[in-house]
Amino acid sequence: MSDTPRRLRIKFDMPSDTRYLPVVRGAIGPLAAAIGWEESECRAITLAVDEALANVIRHAYNNRADGLIELECRESANGLEITLLDKGDAPEMSKICARELGCDQPGGLGTHIIRKVMDRVSYEPSPEGNRFVASKQLRKTP
Amino acid sequence: MKIWVRDVGDAAVVEVEGDVDLGTSPALRRTLFESLPRVAKVALNLEAIRYIDSSGIATLIEVLKDSQRLNKEFVLFGLSPGVEQVFRLTHVIRIFQIFSTEQEALGTA
Repeated sequence: MSDTPRRLRIKFDMPSDTRYLPVVRGAIGPLAAAIGWEESECRAITLAVDEALANVIRHAYNNRADGLIELECRESANGLEITLLDKGDAPEMSKICARELGCDQPGGLGTHIIRKVMDRVSYEPSPEGNRFVASKQLRKTP
Repeated sequence: MKIWVRDVGDAAVVEVEGDVDLGTSPALRRTLFESLPRVAKVALNLEAIRYIDSSGIATLIEVLKDSQRLNKEFVLFGLSPGVEQVFRLTHVIRIFQIFSTEQEALGTA
């Protein structure tokens, strides 16, 4: 038998339809809790994943509900890695994270949330489509 | 998500129950924008909101700006810890008037 540690991986192939956002949210919080985060961090991680999905629906698929989003949530050796793949419009890198927080402008909050909650965030074009990868490490208190 | 509106004196109290996300925030936006012109104050009860995302926060910012343009009041009350966490993550908690109870929000406490 392999001595490789067994870790959980959840994969969603979902339409770019906002009706399915609560389904994903319902899975992410318990996954984060199982990895070891406390309740407020689980809420924040759930929010970050939801915001990443919402960005794909809004910007890659222009609110169309018939696009495909592949979401993979993978427990890593020391935390969580999220990968999103879509085949919609490529993100305009110059417009990502282009606003200041704390002001009264309503746009651009989602990307700031993702960057604030997750440790590493990257957008990578790939032959399969637009790939978004985010990860967060679990920091154990001594 | 469910939304109710109650008139209390010259104010409208908007009650929301459920999740406010990309799919449901347009309905909340519509209700708040419809309520604002016909009353002096709109008070939004956030107590029964289980979840709010950035589209919900953006909606509240839009309504706040419109209330200022119309010289009306837009206030919030009943923030749960989860909702308050999103307000803090987005650094918008200081731009809203936030109260603990409906009576405080309406100035009748």
